[in-house]
This record gives sequence, C-alpha cells and structure tokens, in this order.
Amino acid sequence: MNISLNWLSTHLDLAGKSIREIDDLLTFAGVEVEGIVPKGVSSEKIVVAQIKEAVQHPNADRLKVTQVDAGEGTLRQIVCGAQNYKVGDKVPCALPGAELPGGFTINETVMRKVESKGMLCAASEIGLPAGEDGLLILPADAEIGRPVKQLFDSDVLLELEVTPNRPDLLSHRGMARELAALLKTPLKPLPKGGTGGPPVSSSSIQIDAPDACPLYSAIRISGVTVKESPAWLKERLESIGLRPINNIVDVTNFVLHELGQPLHAFDAAKIGGGLVVRHARDGESFTALDESEHSLVGDDLVISDTTGATLALAGVMGGLASGVTETTRDIVLESAYFTSQGIRRTSRRTALSSDSSYRFERGVDPQGVIPAAALAVKLILETAGGSADAAIQLAGEAPVITKPVALDAAKLDQLMGGSIALADAEQILTRLGLSKRSDGAWEIPSFRADLQRHIDLVEEIARVHGLANVPSRMLGTFVPASAIDAAYDADMVLRRRLAALGLYECQTIKLISDAQVADALPLRPLQDGDTIRVKLPLSEDHAVMRPSMIPGLVASAVRNVRQQAKSLRLFEMGRVFRNAGGGKSKDQESETLGILLSGPTRPVGWDQAEHIADPFDLKGLVAALIPGASIRFSPKDREGFAIACDIRAGDQSIGVFARLLPSRERELDFNTPVFVAELDLGKVRKLLKGIEHVAELPQFPGSSRDAAMEVASTLPNSEIEGVITKCAEALLVDFECFDVFTDPSGAKLAADRKSLAYRFHYRASDRTLKAEEIDAAHQRVLNALSEKAGVRFR
Amino acid sequence: MKDQIPAIEADALARISAATDERALEDARVAVLGKKGSLTLAAAGMKDVPKEEKGAVGQLLNAARASITAALEAKQSALQEIADRAALAGIDTTLPARELPIGGLHPLTLIRDEAIAILRRMGFALADGPEIEDEFHCFDALNTPADHPARNEKDTFYFDSGKLLRTHTSSVQVRTMESAKPPIRIIAPGSAYRRDEIDATHLSVFNQLEGLYVASDVSLPDLKGTLEYFLQELFGSNTEVRFRPHFFPFTEPSFEIDVKLTVKGQEPRWIEVAGCGMVDPAVFEAINKSRKDQAFDPETTTGFAFGMGLDRLAMIRWGIRDIRLLIENDIRFLKQF
Repeated sequence: MNISLNWLSTHLDLAGKSIREIDDLLTFAGVEVEGIVPKGVSSEKIVVAQIKEAVQHPNADRLKVTQVDAGEGTLRQIVCGAQNYKVGDKVPCALPGAELPGGFTINETVMRKVESKGMLCAASEIGLPAGEDGLLILPADAEIGRPVKQLFDSDVLLELEVTPNRPDLLSHRGMARELAALLKTPLKPLPKGGTGGPPVSSSSIQIDAPDACPLYSAIRISGVTVKESPAWLKERLESIGLRPINNIVDVTNFVLHELGQPLHAFDAAKIGGGLVVRHARDGESFTALDESEHSLVGDDLVISDTTGATLALAGVMGGLASGVTETTRDIVLESAYFTSQGIRRTSRRTALSSDSSYRFERGVDPQGVIPAAALAVKLILETAGGSADAAIQLAGEAPVITKPVALDAAKLDQLMGGSIALADAEQILTRLGLSKRSDGAWEIPSFRADLQRHIDLVEEIARVHGLANVPSRMLGTFVPASAIDAAYDADMVLRRRLAALGLYECQTIKLISDAQVADALPLRPLQDGDTIRVKLPLSEDHAVMRPSMIPGLVASAVRNVRQQAKSLRLFEMGRVFRNAGGGKSKDQESETLGILLSGPTRPVGWDQAEHIADPFDLKGLVAALIPGASIRFSPKDREGFAIACDIRAGDQSIGVFARLLPSRERELDFNTPVFVAELDLGKVRKLLKGIEHVAELPQFPGSSRDAAMEVASTLPNSEIEGVITKCAEALLVDFECFDVFTDPSGAKLAADRKSLAYRFHYRASDRTLKAEEIDAAHQRVLNALSEKAGVRFR
Repeated sequence: MKDQIPAIEADALARISAATDERALEDARVAVLGKKGSLTLAAAGMKDVPKEEKGAVGQLLNAARASITAALEAKQSALQEIADRAALAGIDTTLPARELPIGGLHPLTLIRDEAIAILRRMGFALADGPEIEDEFHCFDALNTPADHPARNEKDTFYFDSGKLLRTHTSSVQVRTMESAKPPIRIIAPGSAYRRDEIDATHLSVFNQLEGLYVASDVSLPDLKGTLEYFLQELFGSNTEVRFRPHFFPFTEPSFEIDVKLTVKGQEPRWIEVAGCGMVDPAVFEAINKSRKDQAFDPETTTGFAFGMGLDRLAMIRWGIRDIRLLIENDIRFLKQF
C-alpha cells in the first residue's frame, strides 16, 4: 500500500521526524517498509532556464542545439532531442553536477561532436509526475536561474506491506492512528462531514442477504457536474500513484485512501427504483467497469435495482452500465459493510480485484461506513456542486465484530519474561485505542477486529514494547535423538563419501515434465497411474512429482554437456514420489540416491590415458560407497534402458543400474555412454551400520593357486562365481578374476569362447596348510567348475 | 699355499674394485667365493697343509675372506648408491600432478548441515513429515482460515485427491505434536512448494528449516535467546540481530528476523533471514482435538516456532545472485564450494 507523507501529515504532526525515524517506527510496528521514494525535485542544480535559440544539430536529424539563459550572465549551449518547446519557453535545466533521480549525475559532454553543457529536462526526469511528452514547460513568470524545486512541492512516497491481520492500517487515517499511538502524539481532528441530519432507515434499500451485507447506506446527490478534479485532489491521488479520472470517482478513491472505507458512486439515472442487495442468480451475466465479462454464481453478492438489473458486484467492482460518466447529472453514493469471506470468494472466482475488494476481504470498520459517506458527500458537493439528500439512507445495522477481552497478568509476565510492568502494558493498550472496563476486561475498538483473544492483547504489548526490550534466555530441555537423526547422519556419510569419490552433488527440482518421466529408473518399474501429477502445473515442464532421481540428473548432465563439460560424475539424494500398483496405493514418498556417470572418469594428463566410464566404474563406485556389502549386478531388463541390472547386496536388491538407450544418448547430445543407478536409501543406510565385532586376524599363512579357464563367451561370470560359492570349499577364503580374454577373430581362441583367469586363496585358521592339502582343495574347486559350469582348463 | 693366499686376495680385491655394475660384482664374487672360486679352492687345499702350518694358513684364509667380503659389501653399497642416485635423477617434480577426480557437496547441503550442526548442539533433534500433505496438517491445524489466500489454487499446488504440496515445513510441527508429547524440541529441514514462476529470486520448490520448542515455560526470552545464538553462530558472533513484529497465522506474537550483514565495499544492510513466533494457542487446541487428549493444554503449554529459507541463506552466505544456480547444477558453479 502506498502512503504519502504529506497526506499522512494532515492527520498527525510529523514535524521534526526524519524519514529514517518513520521507517524504523513503521518497521517495529510490524509494517514492512518496502520502498521510500522521494517525490519532487531534489537537486538545487536544476534551475529555471529560458530557451533563447534552437538550431538543427549539424550531425543528427533528431537533435537541436539550443542556447539557454540559466541566469548565469552568459548563455549555455545544450543539445536537446525534445520537440515540444518553442524559443522563449522556460524549462528545467540540469546544470553540470546535478543529480537526477536514479543516481544519474549531469556532466558537460560532447554529443555528436557538439558541446553540451547540461540537460534540459522532462518532468519525469527530475522526479515529478510524468506529463506530456518532451520538456516540462514552466510558467512564463518563473524566475530564470531559480532552483526548480522551489516551484514544486516535495513529498515522500512510502511503499508499505501491511500484514493481513491489520486492515485498519490500509488508509492514511489508520496509519496515522497507529503512528500517533506509537509516538504518543495526538491525532488531528477529522473535518466534519457534509450531511445535515443523522442517517435514516429507508425502505428504498432492501437487503436480501443480511449475512453478507449487514449494513448498506446510500445517498443521492443531484445536479452534479462531472469534470476534472481540482488540483489538490488530483495531487493527493497522484501522490500515491493513482490516476485521477473525474471529480466523483476521485472523491470516492480519496475517501477510500483517507479512511479505508470503500465507496461506490452510481449514475442515478441508471437505477430503476430502489436498491436491492442480493445474491446473484446462477449464470447471471455481469459486465464490470473494466469491461470484463462475468457469469455470476449464487454465492456472489450483487447490488441490483428493483427491476432486477445488476448494478455492481458488491464490494468488488461496479458495473459498466451503471457507472458515472461525463453526462451523469445525479448520483447515488454507496457506503456499505460487506463481510470478508464472500468478497474474497467472489474476487478470487472472478479474478477481479480492486482497492475495494482488497479492503473488504481483510475487513473494514463497521463504524466507519457512515462517516466515510458523510465525508464523500461534503467533498462531492465542494468539487461537483449539486445538492445532497438531507440524510444518508440506510438499511441493516453496523454489526458488532469485537468483544471485550481480559488480560491475564500472570500469563503476560510468563510470556514476556517479566520484562514489562503491568501498568506499562496497560498503557500500551490504552494508546492503541482500547479502554479498560469496570470489570477489568478491555473494550476493543471496532476497527481492531483482530483483537479477539488474550494472546492478541499480548501480541500488541509485545509488538509495541519491542523484542529489543525483552531479555535473552539460553535454556533448553534435553531430548533424545530420533530415527531421522540417524538417517540424516547416514546420508551425510554417503554424501561425503560420494564427494570424496569424485562426484558432485546436485539439487534438482522435484517437479518434472511428462517427457522426463521416460528417464525415470525407479526401484520398481512404473505402471500406468503410478506417477503423481499436480492439478494446475505452472508449466508442463514442472507437472509431475519425480518418481526417480534419474530424470533430474540426466537434465543436469545435458546442461553441463552443453557447457562443454566432458566428465560427468553426479549424484543427488532425496525424495521420490509415486503411487504403486497402478495407483492402488497412493502418495508413497521414499528416499533414494541417484548416481550418473558419463565420460572420462578422471582428468587426462601428461602420462594419464583417458578412461571413459563403463558399467564397472559405477559398480566399483557402489562397492566403495557401501564397503563390506558384497555388491552384485544381476541383469534384469528395464523398458527404455540398456544393460539394466538389479543392484544386489548379499541377498537383497538395493537398487537399479542401467545405461541410457544409445538412441536416447544421441537425442540428448551425449558423446559418451551414460550410466545411471538409483539406490534405496532406506536399505543403504542399514548397510552402513557397520560391524558389531571385529574379526580375528589370520594366524597362519595362506597360499594361492591360479586357474586359466575357457568357457562359452555367453556364460555370465556370475555363474562361475555361483559355482565357486556353492561348492563351499572349506579352505577357500577368497577368489578373484584377474583376466578376461576373447578373440573375435578366432585366431588365438575360438570366437565363441572366452578365457578367464582366476586366482584362488586358501588358508586354514588353525594351521599352516601343506602343499598337498592346498592342491587337493584347489582340485575340488576346479572339478566343481568343470562339472557344474562346463569349464575347460588350459 | 701360504704364498698363494695374498695373491688370490689381491686379485679378488682388484676384480671387485674394477666391477662397475651389479653383474660384474656378482661375477667377481663367484670367481672368488663361488663353489669353484679361487679362495674356495684354496680353502679346499687346507687338507694338504701340514698340521703345524694349519693355524697360520687358516688365519690367512680367514683374513683374506673377511677383507674380500668387506670389499664386496662396500662395493655393493657404492653401486647401490650410484643406482639410487641415477634412479632419482631426472624426476621433474615440477610436472603437473596426476589428477584425481574431485567432487563436492551442494551449497544447500553445506548450509543446511551447518545450521543443523548448530541447532543440534543446542539440543534440537531432527524430525520430518510428508511433502504431499493434506489441508489439515498444512493449514487447518496451523490456524489458517479456510479462505486464507495461501490456500488458493493459484498459490498452492493441489492434487485431484484434494491433497497438496506442503507450502511450508511448518506441517512437520503438527505431525510431530500429534505423535509426541511435550517437551518437544525439533528441527525439520525439507522442501516446500509454492506456485511461483521460477525466476532469479523464486523457485516453485524451495528448501526450509523449521524449528519447534514446546514445553511448560517457554517464553519470548527463550525465543530471542535461541535465535540470536543460532544466527550469531551461523553468521558470526558479532552479528547484530533484530526482531520485527510480523504476522503468521500459527504464531502469536510473530516476528521476522533480520541480521545486519556487511558485504565488502557496501553499507551494512539488514537482511531478512527467518520468521518466528510463539505457538498460537489455537494450534495447540487443534492438536489436542486431533490427538483426542489434552497433552498440549493451551493454559499450561507454551512454545516457539521458527522457519527459514535455506536457499536464501545460501544466497546470502555466498553472494549468489540468481537462485536458479542452485538447481541448475552447473559443474563450474558446484566446483567452487
């Protein structure tokens, strides 16, 4: 909301208060000061100058070279692009050194090879309201050389953010009332309204919806002249950034910003009979003042006439047909109390909002309805002439929306830490307009409907007292660590390990596009209905809750490839979302770790060859991440991916590995294969638990035997490992594959065969093995391999 | 015999001395001390030496063997030293390193971990809750009226099921109080969602850190002391902290917290970093209703809550001007942390 300091000063004396003080005062009252905009000319070096000569610039069609008299005794040459002046006009001239709004300082300069010693200015360039295009033409009697700032009033525009609980601050009077309470200074009295007698109940106003409109008032003013507003009124509205329209509309806008009560003026000629406040008929059409068309529903509140014609969408916007125009002679001025919920629903549903709806939605002062109408009548009579009815007509009555609230001194003391005496607290409430009743409870003014409970009073006291005046206490209860603590610690271990293994952690947005879902590699494949879509996505790029980490990582990798990154080693940890069983089980959130590897696994150097990431790099990475878990990849097809595997640790599946389809890699402009893995963090965390007992170190030496084996090239290595594991040779403690040889040409080895070299380690825990024992054990393993896996030994 | 030994010794020492590499030295050793070496053969001749001379010849032999062995060892270490020197020469340690891949943690993780570490030292335990929430936990229980603007479909992501993406981590307050009794002292880092177009200062998915302390005598001094200490630990012990009155539906009184930051070459500025307040009694009432007990009796239970944007803290900490850098994962950005 915009507040003009000059306008504010009509309600309270701010003399001697700096802008900084007012800023602090508002800030610590709970009103956020978002901007402070000085209005008017600030620099002394912008002076009145008369244009004595203007000739065409030799090198620029659109520029003229002027000679101006700025009261310096000699003429000043200034290059100027404006067209709207004539020689002899007086205009603002910014002399060298003048600072213009926006921090721009004028210097002597050369423009297209012609010297220019200053700048002739338009209104907007020196901080005045924008006028016609071109230079600001000053009055002919302006004294040459005089600072222009002396010709115009200055002001300060305060851009304020009022919290939704304080609608009473949404006007100059309301803001002044708050500042007066904080400053302990009196408010200036309000001018008297312009109607003779007290309001009278009227049968020409009919309220069919008293819940939505408990109080409605109207007054007819006849014989008005709709025209431009007087300067003071236009200036007030312009000072807070409003565009003056005509005297009638301007008065209603002025009163709204003066007192906070929205008003509306109808053209009386457009009203057939009396006024009816009723709910709209379903499907009723309405054209608002801004010419937008709306189909109304029964929940909307309208003002109609007795013929049934809809004149206004109550509290939100007037109708195009019933509005005040230049030909309007008689008006009916509305001032009413509409309850907030209905206005909010209608405003939201129709996407129509106005300064009126903004205030009604938050709540206006029911006691402010009539005084606002009275002020408006006075101002309309002053600015538009005509004559008003003797009294304001009204229907319904002002609702009572506040009730007395008691202040509990003990509770106040507890919450404030004893930092304020009860008398001081009570004084704060009194200053804020509350009054203590004989029963000790506090009477709440009608404009403070936010004060309903004890805690609301405490809030006021704490706010005005200030937290700066409350002591700090550093105490706290001991609480046990939670399962979430344990999970967090495990995740940080994983994160640090991954970083140490040369991976960068990513953070991607959890809403992805439908197209990206194709890159998802969740632990369980997705079925139709398993993805979760938001109802109204901001864009199709962010419409689906990610079911997997991989789409985000792929997108991050693509972005980096476009920036010429070669080595992609990325991971992300966090939540994934899905339904399960085709939507049978809803909204499952689980936590996973996604890994992506592509391109060189290490920097290439002067004696370091390039190694492009392959599946075994990712497998090694997973093994290093979860040491002690025997990590195995067990091939299992996944739609949309190549060489997919389940990642297994011992006998459980903990994740999925795959390569993107080569066609997908090409589509995304990857030059190297892209390998991804997604791991179930719940399972991985458990595997990180560590050991319970250390193992004894071997006391006796072991010995190893190598075996060169030839098998069909299609035989998976896991079969050989399986046979070795299954034969359960007691003396065999470990084995490893240390060479794989194939020869597609068939020269050294048949093309459909492969040669594997394994090393077997034998040891007994209770003795040094004899060579014969080792040989016998080794033979048992080899026999098993040849019998169960068809291995031939070379 | 007696005369041969000095000659053998002299010959051997000469051969050893002449050897210029390991191989020649080994040849010399074999020629003298090997099975058929000159000294070995000479020693074999002892059996023919007259008994009375045996002692003297033996001594001569031993002396010769000792001097030859010593010469061999000396030569051996001399040669080794030359070899070592050769091996070490020509290593240009000014050549570039053989680089290892380097990775790193995301700045959000770093700032979150720092904040969590401080708060855990202060005795807070971690808590969490679902990101796909219902209106009760996200709004109703937090004293947010049914027609509150934040509940608008324009501002909040809803699902056809009627559920929504939590707009703040404050829903974890509700989840926690439903399942535990006072005292409660928790922090909850997590994602929150708002229907904001993504630009330099907004993300539709962002990260918050929520805190809640509920016990029997929690007061504004506790709130102030806790958050001042936390922010001074995070931003530096001399950091000025101020509390501006504000409004949140679920706390009363409510405050926004600013810290005064000095960026090199700039005037110190107050920067908003968090919101906080005393838990509104209406929240306790809603919790009791949900729990069907009076574990959070508003007459005797008090508490404070706070929340802050981690993305914002990261931006402040490292002078990140565009919030989108935090979700784009450009390696050139990530490798700076």
